[in-house]
Amino acid sequence: MFHNRTEALALAMPAAIFAAIVFLVPVGILLSEGFRAADSWTLSAYTGFFDNELNRVVFWRTLKLGALVTAASAVIGYATAYAIVTLPPTARGRMIGLVVMPLMISPVARTYAWIVILGRTGIVNKAIVGLGLSDEPLRFLFTETAVFIGLLQLFLPLMILSLISALENMPKDAVPAARVLGANWLQVFLKVILPLTKEGLVIGGTLVFTGSLTAYITPAILGGSKVLMLETLLYQRVTVANDFASASIIAMILMVMSFSANMLLKRLATARSKR
Amino acid sequence: MLKTLLASSVAFAALAGTANAADKKLVISVYGFAQDEFKEIVYDPFKAICDCDLVVETGNSVERLAKLEARKDDPEIDMAVMSTHDALAAARKGVTQPIDVSRLTNYDKLYDIAKDPLGDHLGVGYTFYATSIAYRADKVKIESWADLFQDELKGRVAFPNVTTNQGPPALYMLGMAMGNDAADLKAPIDEVASNKDDIVTFYERSSQVAQLMQQEEILAAPIGRFSWGPYSKMDMDMAWATPKEGETGGMNVMILTKGAKNEDLAYQFMDFWLSTDIQTKLAEALVDSPANSEVVVSDEIAENLTYGAETVKNLKLLPPDVILDNREAWLSEWNAKVGQ
Repeated sequence: MFHNRTEALALAMPAAIFAAIVFLVPVGILLSEGFRAADSWTLSAYTGFFDNELNRVVFWRTLKLGALVTAASAVIGYATAYAIVTLPPTARGRMIGLVVMPLMISPVARTYAWIVILGRTGIVNKAIVGLGLSDEPLRFLFTETAVFIGLLQLFLPLMILSLISALENMPKDAVPAARVLGANWLQVFLKVILPLTKEGLVIGGTLVFTGSLTAYITPAILGGSKVLMLETLLYQRVTVANDFASASIIAMILMVMSFSANMLLKRLATARSKR
Repeated sequence: MLKTLLASSVAFAALAGTANAADKKLVISVYGFAQDEFKEIVYDPFKAICDCDLVVETGNSVERLAKLEARKDDPEIDMAVMSTHDALAAARKGVTQPIDVSRLTNYDKLYDIAKDPLGDHLGVGYTFYATSIAYRADKVKIESWADLFQDELKGRVAFPNVTTNQGPPALYMLGMAMGNDAADLKAPIDEVASNKDDIVTFYERSSQVAQLMQQEEILAAPIGRFSWGPYSKMDMDMAWATPKEGETGGMNVMILTKGAKNEDLAYQFMDFWLSTDIQTKLAEALVDSPANSEVVVSDEIAENLTYGAETVKNLKLLPPDVILDNREAWLSEWNAKVGQ
């Protein structure tokens, strides 16, 4: 399309310079805070961060909830996406519309709705007490369960949409062929569907995992300070302690976790297809 | 030729006149809440009398404090309002200057506690609020801060996080109820930690508490009087506790930036805001409780405010230097014992 490489580079340059000035440089400055001592560079802030028990608890909780939400959304996502792609075109369009609809509602509104649903007088507790499963309403709010449910509901559509796109690109006769050759459904999933849709899983998994790590509103409202996550801890460090060094350490940890998750998912997908 | 010259000079004079009016500019830094009301009650009427431009910057305390510090040598902001402890932090960073109270005609009308809360006239109080316990009178009885942990409230009480403005004062009062009013708040934090499984949440936003109360998730919570409005309208038997240890609270102050470029305007604006007329209007709009003792409001309005000489006199406020000097230690103590 372009006469030469220089012309293409020249056209990309304004956007690249803009991104560098307004994004890369500030992020670089912010992240460098964590390595800065009085007159030198050091890793001590990072080791110090993990020496603190609360920080370790929060780190593991964030990792655990991120992984659980990603795994649960993959399981539910595959089932939903497979059901949707097998529908006739009109019904498929409607179902995709339903999946997308929650994304159009503010996460704040969606999260507040969970406060009502999971509360003592909410539908879940009414059902539990009504069915005689418990004499007293159970406490869901401000627990890890509530944060898990909130995050799953928030990010599940992203996984479903990624998997729908991957499943649509899969050859239509691959599954029937495997079934005809005697594979059971588990074998079909593991040997046919999963290898052919791994790109969708990697994209969906990365979106859900990074989204869960960096979500602030949902853990803040449904978990509060009883279920601190790295994002809510970061907010606390900045707004209360005015401690930008700790905040930059948390930001760096979140970025490393996101990149690692993406690489891990890619590695898993590649390993499976090589086998 | 003469005509052209004349026309040019008239145009020039007109332009210069405009430039002078635009030069008169006051830059203030305030909390982001109720800005529509502030515009109507304070900003627009002030602009009409000062014939100047008024630039309003909003944000949370930390952002605004950081901005003041960053522009220390060439201040952009002339005056700001913040909590007493943030104002003291600003003073310690050297970004504010003492206020010449003789230039404030409304100064003498202020309640005594608002006159010099930081010392050296580094700030003037313009509003304050009481903090006590909102509770369901049909379900529980609250006569002391220690009643928050009674058996009837197990699993049905919320407590402010230590990171909120309500947190430390509530802990301080809990300490008083336990007979320990040490500024390190160790005793009350231990008490909260030992009851943490019975506390539904450590809230960070007042609005959240109202929703939890409405849903009957909780039956009691320490809150600021400024957020009492929604509770009084609930179809429930809500009450405002008057614990035997007293009520606590907080105060917001006006500060003057060191090297403010528009000092005269800043003084004029502060005096305007402290006037009986403006303080009354702000009170009637339920925006801020008045620091001006001459403000008179109806009983209905007073119900939603921290109002009246007697109420103000009995407020047990944590001194700003105590908050500032201990804040970091409280947070560490809290995170170690309650946060995990």
